[in-house]
Amino acid sequence: MEIIDHLATGFMAAASLQNLFFCLIGVVLGTLIGVLPGIGPIPALAILLPITFGLNPLSSLIMLAGIYYGAQYGGSTTSILVNMPGEASSVVTCIDGHQMARRGRAGSALAIAALGSFFAGCVGTVFIAAFGPPLSAIAQQFNSPDYFALMLLGLVMAVVLAHGSVLKAVAMVLIGLLLGLVGTDVNTGLTRYTFGISGLWEGIDFLPLVLGLFGIVEVIRNLENPPGERQAISTRLRDLWPTKQEFREAWPAVLRGTGLGSILGILPGGGAVLASFASYTLEKKISRNPRKFGHGAVEGVAGPESANNSAAQTSFIPLLTLGIPSNPIMAIMMGAMIIQGIQPGAAVMTARPELFWGMVASMWIGNLMLVVINLPLLGIWVKLLSVPYRLLYPAILLFCAIGVYSTSTEPFMMVLMIVFSIFGYILLKFGCEPAPLVLGFILGPLMEENLRRSLVMSRGDPTIFLERPISAGLLIATLLMIGMIIFPQFRKTREVAFQEE
Amino acid sequence: MVKVRSPQDLGAGLLFLLIGVSGFVFGRDLTFGSARDMGPGYFPYLISGLIVIIGLITAARALAIDGPPIERVHFRPVIMLMLALAAFGFLIAPAGAVIASMSLVILAAYARRNVNPIETIIFAIGVSAFVVTIFVYALGQPMPVWWGD
Repeated sequence: MEIIDHLATGFMAAASLQNLFFCLIGVVLGTLIGVLPGIGPIPALAILLPITFGLNPLSSLIMLAGIYYGAQYGGSTTSILVNMPGEASSVVTCIDGHQMARRGRAGSALAIAALGSFFAGCVGTVFIAAFGPPLSAIAQQFNSPDYFALMLLGLVMAVVLAHGSVLKAVAMVLIGLLLGLVGTDVNTGLTRYTFGISGLWEGIDFLPLVLGLFGIVEVIRNLENPPGERQAISTRLRDLWPTKQEFREAWPAVLRGTGLGSILGILPGGGAVLASFASYTLEKKISRNPRKFGHGAVEGVAGPESANNSAAQTSFIPLLTLGIPSNPIMAIMMGAMIIQGIQPGAAVMTARPELFWGMVASMWIGNLMLVVINLPLLGIWVKLLSVPYRLLYPAILLFCAIGVYSTSTEPFMMVLMIVFSIFGYILLKFGCEPAPLVLGFILGPLMEENLRRSLVMSRGDPTIFLERPISAGLLIATLLMIGMIIFPQFRKTREVAFQEE
Repeated sequence: MVKVRSPQDLGAGLLFLLIGVSGFVFGRDLTFGSARDMGPGYFPYLISGLIVIIGLITAARALAIDGPPIERVHFRPVIMLMLALAAFGFLIAPAGAVIASMSLVILAAYARRNVNPIETIIFAIGVSAFVVTIFVYALGQPMPVWWGD
């Protein structure tokens, strides 16, 4: 079996002592940051990104993936114990998870979340191993027009699935695209929008941008609206095991959540957030007793938690096979890969199989570590919640500053981070969610290049996008998506779906 | 007299307009080219144009549809945090990680009111010692530690 050979290669690469160590560090640090209320996977990844730069590419990707899962899991812990979602994908966990906690079933809710996530993680790993190679074979057929159409679809999907106003999300994507164009134009060697600043010749640095927009704006936001009383519900380890009844209710939901999440994760624009919302809605719909949702329904924890974890894994598939990030978190992963000198895409799997399969294997190892480490360490995570914010935020700020300095000693990078912090703060005040901007920023140069190549191929004739079956299909899907935004009925369901709180 | 119904949207619309127009103004030297031979200005103009259109729609909607008001801007945290970052950025090369980290932590602490100066200084010393231990000695990042390093 080829799949077993591949996974064996991966486990050989990922199970070296060094890589296991970095996986562990990533998972623990990710959980540590993710547990803090208000810090979801995006700021956590941004804040911890710099410490991975000194490592070799495989170790650093393993550690980043670990941080991502850790942060997501940490967010669920906070949701259940404190009713304070770290980020969008654990909002739904809050609803029933916290209700369970208040009824004294905190340990059980945490254990169900952890075991469900682990199961989903295992399935997600197999999913990537099974679908990665065929998808990357398809990717070999892709040409410039197809890539352009695919990126367009990805951006439109990201807009459809973003929170809040569609119009503002479109603007965020476009502004991201424009910011991505700053620097030297590869075709002519001319500099664009650099204002004569040499620090901008190679484009806007990724790190000051994400740290400013997500890390520092988050700190300012928490200072403006101090998080309320953080009264964690205490839990004892011996209460961790779910009852038979809870087990029986949980496992079908885990199965459904895993399946739903695995599929939604692959879609352009999909990912953990969409998966957890969709799973919650599904569980509520098919339940024989929908009224118990919101009052501590076990399925309301098991389904979404499994769904977001499997989606988190399978959303690596488009990035690793097509080289296109499907959501803002994957955009950050792609930024990190580029900084490491790896251009994500189908070539990675053939040219550097140990890197690709090593990363896939590490995802499974990381998920195992999460279960093994986190449940016993629960006490520590809960204690962390009692660290006063007045001590926490200067440390977070310092971490951001050192992160930027350690990648570039130019004082200009600090100026750039300040500029993006202020920009992010203005966006916050105007009700704009900056996550789609990162996606545009990463895709900007790629889209321009593929558009240029397509039009050179066709001598300026735009119908080339319709002549090729792949790009035509993708464009039709894009149009359908745009139609769905304009079509009022779907708009309503979208609003309802995101207002499940 | 037109009534602003959604101040947030109006602000966002004007911000988008500003960015889109800047895209044209600061890119005015870039040649547009043609579809067959895209110049360096082709894609930027395309994007800037779309941003302007979205900006206009967003601003127009703000006059027609009710929306949330803009929350109060708190200048103190913004200014203090930005000062703290700037201090770190400009101090680290000449003065080293210890002094730069301490200045950042102390300035950042004053983003809140009712600061306890003694706690802040002790915390700053502790954090900068931690930073030097982890980043300089454990991770081996090239970073000056002290004045003149």
